Amino acid sequence: MKSPFAYQPRPRPLQLASPAAAVAYLGAIVAVAFLYSNPLVLFAAGVAAVAAGLLAGARRAVRFALKMGLALALLVTVVNALVVSRGETVLARLGDWPLFGDVTVTLEGIVAGASGGLRAAVTIVAAAVYSACVDPDRVLRMLRPLAGRSALTASLVSRLVPVAAADAARLRDAARLRGPGAAEVGRAPLARRLLAGSLDRAVDVAATLELRGYSLDAPRPRGRHARSRYDRRFYAVAAVVLAVAIAGKALGADDFQTYPTIEIGLDPATLFVAAVVAVSGLAPVRLSSLFGHAERTRQAEVARV
Amino acid sequence: MSELAIRRGAAPALAVNALGYLYPQAPAPALVDVSLEVAPGEFVLLAGRSASGKSTLLKAACGLVPHFHGGEIEGEVRVADLDAIASGPGELAAAVGYLAQDPETQVVSTTVAAEIELPLEMRGDEPADRARAVEEVALALAIPHLLDRAVDTLSGGELQRVALAAALVTRPRLILLDEPTSQLDPVAGDELIWLLRRLNEEWGVAVLLAEHRLERCLAAADRVVAMEAGRIAFDGAPAEFLAWSQGADPPLETPAARLFSLAGIDPLPVGVRAARQTLRGMGATHPPNRVSDPHPSDRASQLEPALRAKNLWVALDRGEDLRDVLKGIDLTIRHGERVALMGRNGAGKSTLLRTAAGLHEPVAGKVEVGSVALLTQNPGDYLVRERVGDELAGDQGAAALRVVGLEEKVDADPRDLSGGERQRLALAIALAGRMEGELLPGLVALDEPTRGMDRARKGELVELIRRLAGDVELVPPGETNSTGAAVVVATHDVEFAAEFAERVVLLGDGVVIADGPSDEILSGGWYFATEVARVLDLPGVVTPEQGAAALGEGR
Repeated sequence: MKSPFAYQPRPRPLQLASPAAAVAYLGAIVAVAFLYSNPLVLFAAGVAAVAAGLLAGARRAVRFALKMGLALALLVTVVNALVVSRGETVLARLGDWPLFGDVTVTLEGIVAGASGGLRAAVTIVAAAVYSACVDPDRVLRMLRPLAGRSALTASLVSRLVPVAAADAARLRDAARLRGPGAAEVGRAPLARRLLAGSLDRAVDVAATLELRGYSLDAPRPRGRHARSRYDRRFYAVAAVVLAVAIAGKALGADDFQTYPTIEIGLDPATLFVAAVVAVSGLAPVRLSSLFGHAERTRQAEVARV
Repeated sequence: MSELAIRRGAAPALAVNALGYLYPQAPAPALVDVSLEVAPGEFVLLAGRSASGKSTLLKAACGLVPHFHGGEIEGEVRVADLDAIASGPGELAAAVGYLAQDPETQVVSTTVAAEIELPLEMRGDEPADRARAVEEVALALAIPHLLDRAVDTLSGGELQRVALAAALVTRPRLILLDEPTSQLDPVAGDELIWLLRRLNEEWGVAVLLAEHRLERCLAAADRVVAMEAGRIAFDGAPAEFLAWSQGADPPLETPAARLFSLAGIDPLPVGVRAARQTLRGMGATHPPNRVSDPHPSDRASQLEPALRAKNLWVALDRGEDLRDVLKGIDLTIRHGERVALMGRNGAGKSTLLRTAAGLHEPVAGKVEVGSVALLTQNPGDYLVRERVGDELAGDQGAAALRVVGLEEKVDADPRDLSGGERQRLALAIALAGRMEGELLPGLVALDEPTRGMDRARKGELVELIRRLAGDVELVPPGETNSTGAAVVVATHDVEFAAEFAERVVLLGDGVVIADGPSDEILSGGWYFATEVARVLDLPGVVTPEQGAAALGEGR
């Protein structure tokens, strides 16, 4: 089964953009999540990451990332609630627990944990969208002139990971298909077999890279790599998001306090930052399909009339 | 320099002189005093049994030997005037392309376009030049629709074409192919061979192709080089090769040539067209239609079902969504039947076997089956210990080893066994404990067991299959065939299917599109038909022996 986070080429703006533009855009959303603690802004960053993934067609990656991110957020919230006893709104006194000591659950502890968990969830979703939408080959090519050997190693690893995963699945199947009278396959022999197989595979893949001329110290071609018409859009959105986030931070838009009592600032600046960040999730939309839809709707109405 | 090279007035695409090579720690050399020239634009077929040195010669021609494998080498290898021993594979990349058996490890990029473009980028070509070259090679190989696809969504045949495109995109003077059709269905295999011929004719690229299924490519070749124990045993025209193989190495004979030699007809044909022309010239008339005797289904209908699939639907996750792979299969296979499961790549053959073995759950319908022993496409996956006896200890293990004829190899290291023995050991591992005493399980299933096998080894496998099915000819006197298992083999190899199977089930896109006696199915089409069936076009005639008998009746 293919990983939900594996790159899948699609004719969508985020996939067609250059890796640098896509990284700048998704990185801006993650930067907001790390710059701000205000749950409204964090939620807006989450909405932006999810919308970006859905508009880029990475529905499965977003779904899996949301499951992972929300599970992690829940874990962080629970652990924070059990570990941190600060806060004035006590919800429960659970007495002495091994490792945790005196456990007092407060509303403030829960909210602080949820805020940290939300930040982690936003990061996971944005990373999943990156993984599913940004071509790793193009990233490696971008890096190759800067660090040739590292790019070669990364190329080898990026190819070997799915191959090794397929090998492992095959070995597991073979282990299940052994007759009950055959010796049982322990984890150690299986791991040894997988390792030996992976080394053989690595040699094959390395041979292919060699045959493609990867080891040649070829001159860099003149001229620039073909750029995408979507690059400007993503760079512009990233710049706007970062500028608004930094300016908002400077103007006190991140007014959020958890201890001793919860105080969430919902001033116009915060609302503006949250709105800009959330709307930035629409950047990967295909304008042609939007306008195409509008045009088709108009034609349908004309036809009806 | 060969006559053809002199005639064309160019340096050879490949010149090998007195080449000898010994793999590290190998007891015997893989190549011994090999001298060979391939002229520009020549299509050379490299024949020979397993381990005869074909793959090593190809690897020497592209620089992988000795640069990747180490070992001791002597002699000279020149590719388009480059010294292949002094230069590495990277330096040779512009002059020679190489395509190995397994396409899975021959792609290193995420998308098809990136994979094809990579060699040009490594060479430092300009973006515009790269774009044009990628477009042209994609058009030449009929894969422009694949350019934006992720490589892990491609079928085996598509992946092989992409790997070929990446090997050809630098416009090399020589392309080396090591059994490129071994994992392809007959349709994709034939397409690939004729694609190579077209590229050879239109682009002038020299081709050196190693293959076991010679009937598939002999007609496309200008010349055949046969290898034996690391040496060149024959070098000449295809027709001369057939005459040579008849006496020197009969397993290398093609089915059509064997048909003619059994029927006493000369000259031996290099392909279907030549065979038909000869027969027309002789005025051979079609004999009356033959009827298979005894009719397998008559015999089978008297036996107990070993597998019964009823409206079987299986869906697999292919990355994005679930896709129906089996779509309402109804199938009954009985004890003692030898069944070939055929169809194109992705038709659902492996999925059907894996579902019967319990690796997949049906989404609808059901499959009723008793004990199943399934040998998957990679027998090496079953071998995890360093002694045969450690894999199969105890009475049950010993019984399984006896069934496959490996009881004498208990103390051997599986890695020291031959390819055929390793396959039989893997089968014994699947059988162990699934037999009651010496009684076989209800269903024995083999998935593509002939990949990379020469004809001699296929003969051994046919014998084993017949023994597993309790074939009356092989069962000792006094025993009946009631102990035989139903043996189902998923295969692309029509000649092999004609040898072992009494029934063929043809799948197409997850449904059964034909099911009947093998003689009938393998003579009733074009792609899923044997070479003899294509030559004679007679219902029920699929093997050289049947064909010779039919020709005898008609004359």
